[in-house]
Parts: sequence; structure tokens; C-alpha cells
Amino acid sequence: MKNKVLLGLLVLTVAVVFLCGAGITPSLAKDKIVVGMSRPLSGWLAVIGDSAFKPIYETWVPMVNAQGGIYVKEYKKKLPIELIIYDDKSDVGTMTRLTEKLIVEDKVDFLWPACGTSFVFAQAPIANKHGYILVTAEGGATQIKDMLPSLPYVFVSLSFSDWYELPVFAELLGEAGAKTAYIMYIGDLHGIEYSGVAGIEFPKHGIEIAGIKSVPPGTKDLSPIIKKAKASNADVFCAFGYPDMVLPATGTSMALGYNPKAWIGGPGANFGFYHTTFGPATEGVCGFTTFACNQSAAAKELCDKLYKGKPEEIRDFWGHPLYWAALEFWKAAIEKAGTLDQKVIRDIMATEKLNTMLGPTWFENGLMAKEAHTGEIGQWQKGVFEVVGPKKHATAKFVYPKPAWPKPKK
Amino acid sequence: MFVTILDVVIAGLLLGGIYALIAVGLSLQYGVARVLNISHGEFIMLGAFGTWMLYKMAGINPLITLAMCGPVIFLIGFFLHRTLFRSLLNSSASSDIFEGRSLLASFGLLFIIQNIAILVWGADIKGYSYLSYGVNLAGSLFEANRLVTLLFAVVISAAFYLFLACTRLGKAIRAAAQDPATAGLMGVNINKVLALCFGFGALMASFAGGLLSMCYPITATMGMEYTIIAIIVVVLGGLGSIVGSFIGGFLLGLIGSIVTYIEPGLALVAYYVIFTVLLLAKPKGILGK
Repeated sequence: MKNKVLLGLLVLTVAVVFLCGAGITPSLAKDKIVVGMSRPLSGWLAVIGDSAFKPIYETWVPMVNAQGGIYVKEYKKKLPIELIIYDDKSDVGTMTRLTEKLIVEDKVDFLWPACGTSFVFAQAPIANKHGYILVTAEGGATQIKDMLPSLPYVFVSLSFSDWYELPVFAELLGEAGAKTAYIMYIGDLHGIEYSGVAGIEFPKHGIEIAGIKSVPPGTKDLSPIIKKAKASNADVFCAFGYPDMVLPATGTSMALGYNPKAWIGGPGANFGFYHTTFGPATEGVCGFTTFACNQSAAAKELCDKLYKGKPEEIRDFWGHPLYWAALEFWKAAIEKAGTLDQKVIRDIMATEKLNTMLGPTWFENGLMAKEAHTGEIGQWQKGVFEVVGPKKHATAKFVYPKPAWPKPKK
Repeated sequence: MFVTILDVVIAGLLLGGIYALIAVGLSLQYGVARVLNISHGEFIMLGAFGTWMLYKMAGINPLITLAMCGPVIFLIGFFLHRTLFRSLLNSSASSDIFEGRSLLASFGLLFIIQNIAILVWGADIKGYSYLSYGVNLAGSLFEANRLVTLLFAVVISAAFYLFLACTRLGKAIRAAAQDPATAGLMGVNINKVLALCFGFGALMASFAGGLLSMCYPITATMGMEYTIIAIIVVVLGGLGSIVGSFIGGFLLGLIGSIVTYIEPGLALVAYYVIFTVLLLAKPKGILGK
């Protein structure tokens, strides 16, 4: 008899423990949202990662956690975000292994993106295969548009050449009366794509391509190409490369007295360090952008959060608002879904308009809608990187011709 | 036509001056201390950041910062050899084993220095504008900062060559390069000389970094690119030959300039073709022994 009572108590205890552990009270079981990332904390890509998405998540996550986290109705409470970040050492192979680890071993709730276009191409299929939403940050290319229909879990936030920068730039130039352009581009996917799109968009607005030169990555001396551009007398000079090409191209253009009517460099001219390097000489130089700090109350608020009290070098007027808006969109989608079920959240992200600092924001076929962009082309004017195109978002008029490089002090 | 040729040649010399200065330091470290220092580019990076920091924060002329950063980086190099590489030397049964171990150690040093730099300065791009105006030479414009870089590269290399040729310590270094054991028997303090050579190599790298920072943007991860250039130039010029490295640097710069003028995409191809052809024809390099 005694044994039967003891056995009954044991069975009851096991049943209670099992039911508790089964999560019939999810509010007790879940206390955070774990987000995993494979990022270039070291290696050659750290230079991009450090200045692009890193300042965003380092500001956004503490801000959200200070408010308690993200409200998830399923748990009837706010859940703070915990980040797990692995260093992929700027290596694609390492990144793919770390991404699998985050999903399969660490079982993170969500995945945030790796850095760089080629990394996006590699990571997107992995995330999609496992049914993990991937909102990309740094990286974007025309070719990715073709991949997105087969990657329903992937959402691309960054604008790029034909989405919708160069069509806007070509329109600005055409209206201003530019007739010829000289293009120098880095000999990789980015440069090839931008030069290709320019080759299509510029002629639509009566701008003839006077010359086009590919430059291998790491080229030290750009003076032969700049001299050829100068000799061509082209109205517009385009440097489609990365900052380590755009900055020397600017310095060489200044030194050689090459003063085209328009000068665009990107990515490169859109960063704060471009202005801190060249100061007043940046006047009139164009680059890619999404906003200006003086554009709206939301833009000013974002600038205060990201840049107030920090060195000017860290500013990125192109990527930062898009990455921030993408995180806001992701958060709003979770709150609307009321669950951490990625399929439910994905369906909301793919079909709905949600409010972010850009205003109403949505994704079309996996791309952040160009109508949601609050700028495409920026121009340095009196030390401010103003939005000059498209005109409906402009904070200043496009200056054409750009002023000549100032005479440096000898 | 003549102006174009002159344009290309002068541009080649400007580029070559940088390459020569980068390579001379590595040549010294390998030629005497027998350390193929894969982290050589990181010392260039430290010199570049030192100059950038002093110019941006204190407004000190970049050319003056060379004299400020150089001794500090020399001491770092000297200390590293006296500790790390000397212990490897003492524990290696032969010079071949030491070379292999020191190569691996310098790989580790590369990652340590690079990641410390990322922690201190961040990984983003830094730059400044200095002497960014054109100078007319034979009817063509050249950037003043690159002309100054060439001038300093030649003066520093020449001064160092004279130091090696005419001073007592220079003779000790040359003796150690030829035969360390015999030099030791002749009264040369070999351990000190090897450490000094490594330090001098770091010093040259520091000068190169400071001058480079005047012309190009800098990042904490910029070093490897220059290490590769230095290795190519050192092998081209002849392992252990300072003059050979100097000539190799200018040769590579000229080739790069000519090919860039014709087709920029082929510049890297041209470097490696010349490198391969020269090694097949003269395996010891231009002035290798």
C-alpha cells in the first residue's frame, strides 16, 4: 500500500515537471530574443563592417532593450534582444560555416546579415533553406534581384545602381545640360554593375560616354586615368569604386587640376571621413545617399542618436538610414505577428507597409521599395551632404557645374 | 609623344620610390637577421597611423612626424627581435629551422598587431589631405605629395646606404650579413646587431608608412598588401641586397606605370610576369648573391 502511494506521488511529480517543461506557460520559458550574426570583426572587410552596420546595431539594440525589448504577444511581454556575434575574419567560407552554426547549433531565434555583396550571395540561400529571415545590410547588386524570387526569406535593404541611384543621377545631369561622361570603375562586380547601368541610363538623358576605364582593386596610381579623363573634356566624371579608390581619385583630381562639371564617387563620398579628409574641397562632389540630417524630424532624431558626440568620420548617409529602417521594420513585423514564428513574420514583411524613420516602408519582391527611399544622390554643399535627387526629397538644389577644387595652401 | 613618355616614366619613378622604400626595410630584416617578416606591412601601417594621428590631433607636419614615429617603431622592432626572434634563434638547430619558425612567428605577429590596431583605431578608413596640389614637370602635372615621397624615399635609402658603407656599425651589419659566425668571432656583438637590423627594418617601414599616408587613405588592415609588394621587390632585387631592392622597387614602379597607361587591368599581371621571367632568367634576383 505504502509503495503504491509512493509510486503514485512519483508519477504525479514527473507529470508536473514534464508539463512545466513542455512550456504550457510560455511567458516563463522565453526571456529574450537571441539574434545571431557572422560579421567581419577582423580582416579586410572590417573596414566596411565597422563603419556601416556595426554602428547601427550597437546603437539600436541597447535603445530597444532600454525600452524593455520587443513586445511579443505570444509571451505577453517584451523580450530584450541578445546578440551572438562571431568573427568571420572577412572570409566567405568561415561566414557560411558560422551561419550554419548559429542556426543549427546555437539555434538563434533570428539571423542578422553578414557584410558585403558576395557574402550576401553566399548567406542568403543558407538562411532561406532553414526558413530564417535575412534582412541584408551592406551589399546589394542588380544580380540579386534575379535571385530574390527563389529566396522568399531574404529582404534587401540597401539601394544600389539601378535601384534607384543612377537613373536619378542621369536625370539630374540631363536636366543640367551635361553632354559627356568619363567613367572609371573598379574591376569587380560593384564597378562592372555601376558602369554598366550608367552606360544604359546616361544615354537616355543625352549623355554620351566619352571614355570608360576599369581599374584593378588596389591600384595605387590613378593619375594616368585621371589625365585621360581630363583630356577627354567630359562634363561628368564617375569613380565607381570603394573608398580606397574614391579618396585617392579625389586627391589626384585635385592635384592635377581636373575640374569636371560633375564629380561622383561611390561608395566613398557618402561617408563622414570623406569630408574630414578633404574639408572644403568636397564642395560640389556627389555620392550616393538616402537622407540628410536636416531632411525631417525623424532624420534629425536618427542623426542625434547615431552621430551626436561622436567623430564625423563614422557618418554614412547612404547605408545607415536604410539599415536602421530595416531593423525598425523587422521589429514592427514581429510585434504585428505577435509571435517569433519566422514564417508568420516573413509573410507580414513581404506584404505589408509598416512605419519606419523613412516613413511608410515596404518590400517589393524582397527589395526595399524605392518609393520608400528618401534620397538617392547626395552632394556636399557647405560641409553638409545634402540630398539633391530625386527632387521630391531634395534638401538642396543640385549644383552644376560644381565649383573648381580650391587652391590648396602650399 | 615625348611628353607622354616622360609622363609615364616620372609616374613610374614616383610609384617606384614608394615600392623601394617599402622593400629596403624587409631586405634588411631578411638579408641580415634572416627573418622573412610577414608582418612588415603592419609596421608600415603603424607608421601611417602614427603620422595620421599626430597630424590630425596635434597639427604636426607629416614630414616631422616621421622623426617622431620612427624611433618608437624602431624600438618596437628591436624589442621584438631581442625577445621573440632571439628565443627562436637560440632554440633552432639550424638557420633553415629558424627561418621557418620566424616566418610562422611573424604571421602570428601580423594578426596581433593588426587586431590591436583595429581595437585602438577602429577598422574604418582614415585619411588627410597634405600637399594635394599639382607641380608642373616637363609639361605634365604631378602631385606634390608624391614628389615629396619620392624625394624622401631616395634620401632615406641613400642615407641608409651610406650608413652601412661608412660607419663602424654599418660594417658590423654587413659582416653579420655575410657570415654571422665569423663576424661574432671578430668581436661583433651578433645578437645586438641582428636586433638592430630588425629595428632598422621596422624604422624604414615606419618612414614608408608615414609617407604613404600623405598620398593614400589608410586602414588597420592595409599592411598585407604592402608586405606582398615588399616580398616581390626584395626577391626581384635579390635577397639581402639593399641596392637590389632599391632598383627592384623602381623597376616595378616603371613597369606598373607603363602597363597602367596602356591597360590598367593588366598591371598586376605584368608584375607577376616580370617576376616570373626574371626568376627564371636570374633566380638570385638583380643583385642577389
